[in-house]
Amino acid sequence: MSQRSEVYRTSLLGLLSPAIVLSVWESAGALGWINPILLPRPSQIVWSLVELVADGAVFPPLLYTIALFVVGYAIASILGIAIGVAMATSETLYGLLEPLVEILRPIPKSALVPVLFLFLGIGKTTMITVVVLAAVFPVLISTFQGVRGLDPVLLETARTFQVSRMRTIFSIILPASLPMILAGMRVALGLGLVLVILAEMLAGEDGIGFRILDLQRAFQIREMFAWIFVLVALGGGLMMLFDLIERTLVPWRGKT
Amino acid sequence: MSERLGFDHVTKIFEAPGSDTGFVAFDDITLEASPSEFLAIVGPSGCGKSTLLKMAAGLMPPTRGRVLLDGKPVFDPPPGVVYLFQQYAKSLFAWRTVIDNVMFPLEAAPRSQRNELREKCRDYLKQVGLSGFEDSYPWQLSGGMQQRVAIARALAADPQVLLLDEPFSAVDALTRMELQSLVLQLWERRKFTAILVTHDVEEAIFLADRVAVLGAKPTALKEIIDVGLPRPRDQLTTREDPRFLKLRHHLTSLLLARNPAHVAAV
Repeated sequence: MSQRSEVYRTSLLGLLSPAIVLSVWESAGALGWINPILLPRPSQIVWSLVELVADGAVFPPLLYTIALFVVGYAIASILGIAIGVAMATSETLYGLLEPLVEILRPIPKSALVPVLFLFLGIGKTTMITVVVLAAVFPVLISTFQGVRGLDPVLLETARTFQVSRMRTIFSIILPASLPMILAGMRVALGLGLVLVILAEMLAGEDGIGFRILDLQRAFQIREMFAWIFVLVALGGGLMMLFDLIERTLVPWRGKT
Repeated sequence: MSERLGFDHVTKIFEAPGSDTGFVAFDDITLEASPSEFLAIVGPSGCGKSTLLKMAAGLMPPTRGRVLLDGKPVFDPPPGVVYLFQQYAKSLFAWRTVIDNVMFPLEAAPRSQRNELREKCRDYLKQVGLSGFEDSYPWQLSGGMQQRVAIARALAADPQVLLLDEPFSAVDALTRMELQSLVLQLWERRKFTAILVTHDVEEAIFLADRVAVLGAKPTALKEIIDVGLPRPRDQLTTREDPRFLKLRHHLTSLLLARNPAHVAAV
């Protein structure tokens, strides 16, 4: 009962800070403290947003961005987990790949976007590659650390039951390091989204990133902000979905 | 006497940085357990009792000497040798339900036998007093119950040899007694070889047929004692038996006097 009201209170408190920012922003606009052309009031932006949704114009770019992101993110997650597990369980693969990973990892992936345009041209392949490059490293590193950090007791348990190497990986190592893998995937989610938007801005074909830059150039500031709101909703929505998946997959988190 | 599991002149040396000779954990230990025997190994903490058990399980090779299972040297973990860890929470699979934890050793079996094996696992859970908890997760259970799950899983692996690595030291005193009685009951029913490592002298006497006493570093076998108390044993009457108290006195004094020569000199 008290725990429930506690949750209720914290979620209410969480709503409070954005509400305050929005009200200050709204009042500042209404009082004429800020230039309404450069920074429209939230209420005006919301109207543009409603129009966007009502005439369906929001959906093609939104789905375009989501599709690019999801494909890239899925590839990055699978690659990151596979390479992370391989490096953590094989000394040979660790020796082989560790230097390469350490060279590539610290490069800000945004710097590679123009390079990729050069080699792969402007298109979906490039955009997906950008997301993969941004998202793969956090997943890889977390997976590696998760597997290396597993308790020896767990692995010895598997050995005493004569479990094959493959079965040890799939039925023990992977599920046991899932909390760490998901922590990496959470970081990758944010990074991947940043990079897909940036790539869309630079490629100038379609998607939310392209809309934002295009409307800024056309000086349709209110519409531009409406798209930024769409982006906020997308990011928030993906994070909430991630939380839900995480809670379903690792209910034992923090309990062992 | 035919032996089930034996240590044949086993020496274990760990490489130690800055030392040419390394750190000698055991020196020339020879000890064997016969089928259906309950053997306890006691020693001061840090004497490497667990290392001895890990070598028996094939988890760690001896530096010199051999570990023998039914006369054959052990290299990798052999089937039929099951290890019960002190850290039961880390040994159980948090993402699996209780029944699926118990099923784990049986999953290599053909699919057609699955239902039958599942019924068997339900029975193992019943034997350890966990009926009704099949679909719970280990982390939803108390420590004692978690160790019971590990015991049921060990039973599912059909142990010839059960290695018990201080399995009751992380639970409260009352739960410890319950688990001791449970293991004793299962051992009497299934007649596997049980090797228990513990620093608890009373636990060793209460459970075992023989108690091997290890001395301080480098560890060597000090003495092997026949317990000879009647079975079935009881937490109250066995522990009040004058012979129990006498053994307790003897073993405790052996463990406390780590360096008899030194004591004698004073």
